[in-house]
Amino acid sequence: MDLHNLNPSSLKSRFTTRFLRALTEINARKPIASSSSPREIFQRYRRIKDAADTSMAYSVRSRRTWSKATLWRLRTPSHRRRLASFGRRSSLNKTRTTTTASHRGAVVVQITSRGGGLGVQLEELRELVPGGEAMDLCNLLDETAHYIKCLTTQVQVMRTIANLYSLE
Amino acid sequence: MEKDEAFMAEVLNRTASRQLTWNTEVLNCATEKLGNHFLNPNWDNSMDQSDPFESALSSMVSSPAASKVPVSGENVMMRELIGKLGNICNSGDASCYSTPLNSPPRFDLSMVNLLNHSTLVPFSADPGFAERATRFSCFSTGGDSGCFNGPLMDSFKLSCNQSINVNGSQNNKNSAMAGNSDSDKKNSGVSRSSSPENAESGVSKEESSVSQQIPSQNDAGTRKRKSIPRGKAKEIPSPAAADAKVASENDESNSKRSKREGAPSGNGNAKASNDGNQKQSKENSKPPEPPKDYIHVRARRGEATDSHSLAERVRREKISERMKFLQDLVPGCNKVTGKAVMLDEIINYVQSLQRQVEFLSMKLATVNPRMDVNMEALLSKDMFQSRGVLQHGIYPMDSSPAFPCGYHPQQGLLPLNNGIPNTTETQFSMKTQGFKLPSIDGFIDAHPQVGSMWEDDIQSIVQMGFGQNQPQSYQGSISTGQVKIEL
Repeated sequence: MDLHNLNPSSLKSRFTTRFLRALTEINARKPIASSSSPREIFQRYRRIKDAADTSMAYSVRSRRTWSKATLWRLRTPSHRRRLASFGRRSSLNKTRTTTTASHRGAVVVQITSRGGGLGVQLEELRELVPGGEAMDLCNLLDETAHYIKCLTTQVQVMRTIANLYSLE
Repeated sequence: MEKDEAFMAEVLNRTASRQLTWNTEVLNCATEKLGNHFLNPNWDNSMDQSDPFESALSSMVSSPAASKVPVSGENVMMRELIGKLGNICNSGDASCYSTPLNSPPRFDLSMVNLLNHSTLVPFSADPGFAERATRFSCFSTGGDSGCFNGPLMDSFKLSCNQSINVNGSQNNKNSAMAGNSDSDKKNSGVSRSSSPENAESGVSKEESSVSQQIPSQNDAGTRKRKSIPRGKAKEIPSPAAADAKVASENDESNSKRSKREGAPSGNGNAKASNDGNQKQSKENSKPPEPPKDYIHVRARRGEATDSHSLAERVRREKISERMKFLQDLVPGCNKVTGKAVMLDEIINYVQSLQRQVEFLSMKLATVNPRMDVNMEALLSKDMFQSRGVLQHGIYPMDSSPAFPCGYHPQQGLLPLNNGIPNTTETQFSMKTQGFKLPSIDGFIDAHPQVGSMWEDDIQSIVQMGFGQNQPQSYQGSISTGQVKIEL
């Protein structure tokens, strides 16, 4: 596979290829009919979203904590995730506890004691960045930076695709 | 003399009677311990003599214990007396505490002090105390338990003397004389022999001197007492020494240093146990080479050279560096200062990005996909975003794989043809139009395998087509799919 104009190993290209592949697969499985129920559409939406996140996490190749966490979240079914979270909880810092909800994006973090006014925001950030529960501030900021970069790439590519799709 | 004695006795009685509750509890404990440890093992030899003393002692102790009225002023005085006694005991330093601690099963420092407290009170309260005190001393020396020999015994003697002097009466004199006569044979205590002299010379002087000495000595005693547990707590040798040294050496230390000393003392001890020597060397001499894999940090001028503060400084710098990097990433954060606001902005941005992803995936779910359009436009987008457009593979249209791709580029290019009167463009469009019909079927059949192949070919075609007109076709291809290029 050779993309001339793009750096072949860039994040964007990697994500693009993977995502497109996934997208075609989804569309092949269930082509969109004009009479799709909202439920079907919602299912598609979930699948596409998961595909996007997975492909992005794959593109990062588990070098990052957030990508690992994303992949783990998407792979393990929710009941196993809840069980695993108990084990994870004990290994976490004693100032924090986590409970994972079944929803993909909702990881509720309760921080019992954090000094300073940054506590609330740190907690929020940990919620947002996947896998950010058990990290100190320094690494968390690193992860956040990389996560932001990947998210922007993802948004760009998806927006382009969506626009192209909607042209028809 | 009598008045003085009466006055002192009254004062002491008042203080004794108005003990604080904790004091009384302590006294109760003390009496118990006294009963268990002090009296029994040491005075077994001389039970006949100890019996009256013991009973008297218990009665004396219980009498102040009975009353539980808190006091303010007199208690201070009593505490001062006790403090002086404690100080006397402390003067023997470790040995003072070691001797009583050795023989009886469990004697804390507090217990010794309390014993002093407890013993002083009844001693001084009783006018006939001196007699018993002398007997007590005799017991100790005669019994030779080892507990009462040494500084503690001296303290008792002194306390006896003090109380004797304080009480200072004919009774004391008599008792002292009697005691002297008794003890001369057994005891070589100088203090005892001097006691009658003191008693004779002047009680008032003693009182005043005692009262004066006590406040200053009490502080020293308390200070000393406090320092001992602290010293024991910090008995971890080198790191604690390092900390103390650093603390003493820091002339230009910040005010934060004291806090940091207190707060991470536990951490510091734990940490220091690992790398105490190395950090110690770093602190004390400020060498430029910390050992092995440590991050080289130099203490800045006017900053604390504590290992904790250095590590904290490194950490803080790392965090601020990362915050700056994030500031560049997040748009519109240049004016923002401060961690809290910055973090707010970051959080908002991440949330917005995530929401965008969700929205776009929803959009993708609803839109009917045409894979070819997808591929081509995507690649064109990629091409647009690349700065240098490569112009190789100019005419791959002749190859069959290009055919199916030609269809949609042609579609996309139609408005382009209208929009841009470019010869190359028209050429291209002409050529693609030529492949219009056969491409459709081939296109659909090739659908499942499109994938990566298309990207390459489409890309090459598109490249060729748009290559020369990079800046202009930019607009054109935007019109094709109304692609909004976000760069």
